[in-house]
Amino acid sequence: MQNKILKKDRIAGFLDHLAASHNLIAPVSEDKAFTVFKKVLSAAEVDLNFTNTLIPPKNYFFPAAEKLFAFSTNGGDIIIEEPQRSEVSVIFGIRPCDIKSLSLLDPVFYGAFPDTYYSSKRENTLLIGLSCREVLPTCFCKAFGTHPTDGVGADLMLTDLGNYYLVEILTAKGSSLLERNTGFFSDETTDSAVLEKELLKDKLSADFIRKPDLSGVKQILDKVFEHPYWGELAAKCIGCGICTFVCPTCHCFNMIDTSRPDASGSRYRCHDSCMFPGFTKMAGGHNPRPTKVERVRNRFMHKLKYHLDRYNLEGCTGCGRCIAKCPVNIDISQIITNIREVVKDD
Amino acid sequence: MTSNPLLPHIATIKSIRQETDDVKTFQMVFDDQAVAENFVHKPGQVALISVLGEGESTISITSSPTGKGFLEFSIKKVGRLTSVLHELEAGAKVAVRGPYGNCFPYEAMKGKDLLFIGGGIGLAPLRSLIDFVLVEENRNAYGNVEVLYGARSRADLCFKEDLFNKWPSCKDTKVYTTIDREEPDWCGHVGFVPAYLEELKPLSTNKLAVTCGPPVMIKFILRSLQKLGFTDERIITTLEMKMKCCIGKCGRCNIGSKYVCLDGPVFTLKQLKELPPEF
Repeated sequence: MQNKILKKDRIAGFLDHLAASHNLIAPVSEDKAFTVFKKVLSAAEVDLNFTNTLIPPKNYFFPAAEKLFAFSTNGGDIIIEEPQRSEVSVIFGIRPCDIKSLSLLDPVFYGAFPDTYYSSKRENTLLIGLSCREVLPTCFCKAFGTHPTDGVGADLMLTDLGNYYLVEILTAKGSSLLERNTGFFSDETTDSAVLEKELLKDKLSADFIRKPDLSGVKQILDKVFEHPYWGELAAKCIGCGICTFVCPTCHCFNMIDTSRPDASGSRYRCHDSCMFPGFTKMAGGHNPRPTKVERVRNRFMHKLKYHLDRYNLEGCTGCGRCIAKCPVNIDISQIITNIREVVKDD
Repeated sequence: MTSNPLLPHIATIKSIRQETDDVKTFQMVFDDQAVAENFVHKPGQVALISVLGEGESTISITSSPTGKGFLEFSIKKVGRLTSVLHELEAGAKVAVRGPYGNCFPYEAMKGKDLLFIGGGIGLAPLRSLIDFVLVEENRNAYGNVEVLYGARSRADLCFKEDLFNKWPSCKDTKVYTTIDREEPDWCGHVGFVPAYLEELKPLSTNKLAVTCGPPVMIKFILRSLQKLGFTDERIITTLEMKMKCCIGKCGRCNIGSKYVCLDGPVFTLKQLKELPPEF
């Protein structure tokens, strides 16, 4: 692995250059209230003073609403047209937990029937990661084996070390991007930068407030499908679905048609939520998950057991967004901790 | 470019048969010959039918793959899209994608006797396998076939032509039909399907039972089959769940870590007992 240095005074030039040559997606502050990933045309739009974005970068690959195809009629024939495929993109500033979330979504969107909407973007997008500078009270990525400075899954990993960024080149794609932009990077020795990053890593490691222990949790969940604990959790839940809305690994969607009087229209897919009662309700009225108890249980089983059963990958990254946003303080890191105690009481 | 599994293909409704007050069988043919040739289904699989601008629904393929060049779907009018479908006439354009899901274990069934038990619209998915087994080219590969089918009334029986003419005339095939209550011009059996099954007492030796119907019927059928000596791995059923993508991504047809659209819809009772009771 090779490293470079990017001086702080060159970052704006680098981002401007990326925006000119690629579809650049980067963190943008919305009214100084929250940060989201958005397409940017210049470095001036980018906000690098963020902890993490409100909405995960998953939404670039799997948008909240996405056109699947348009249809129209020509004489007696119906014509179905796919939308244009994505251009070559760069996501700049993606945090380690969110880089990991994409690797957890990949087996869902590939698999036996690869989803071409997702795959065309995934394969045409370069990920430039950015180490965290701060651990939030809701963060617990470490429990899932991720560290706030990990670049695994990114093409380039940047770490802010004061006056400069350490740039780690992690893939051939990342390397060739740098070769096309050599002017922005210095070739000076990176030994002290690597050491500084190690110090930052140690500091951040000690900053975690939440330290849920996942060992044995899956084995417990294998046995507690029928347990009053789910009812207790569900009693608090108001079914608002915000946890699924902000989650970087939730992938549920609905498909909806629109039409115009001239018999043309489109089919869209839109994010949906397993927390809503209509999600599993069939036309005849039968609903396999009729109450909040089944729905809450399904969400946490999915994150901590079903995803592991199916793909041998955890369904949660420990980003903490659902903890921060839940209006009634349902807390997945607490559930991981509590489930052990709950079983002990039996 | 890789093919896009979410794109449906245009098909034309060639004919519509009214089975009951609220069930119609639609025969459909793909407009594009190449699409038709690529669509190779197995008994028990499902497809998605779209009325563009209205939506899409998952429907079991009612016709056997041995019937070439067309697909049949028997559809009960229960929701929004099926109501729109019921308004269509022959010649109307729809869009179809699939086939999806696993299938009945028609290879492992070879050499075995088969007992089919259906209730109401539940006969629709079984029909793809019954016709597959009874077609002349396959008939000798399978043992005796019994079909036990019931509906609320005579008017609610689907596939009357198959039940009363086609299937009974096939080699080593018996068809038993029942309706829930007495009717003036009905001289057949009267009573619920599970009770009739216990009356008929079919032998379970070298036999597989394949069943589909309303949940309450299935509950009692499973009990009766076990009483008759059918073990859990020799009882096969096919499930219905709400589905949108049918390719394991939209997240709504899961039972535990299994997706009914990919790992089902066909399960043995043994497999179902290993899943959480959430279907």
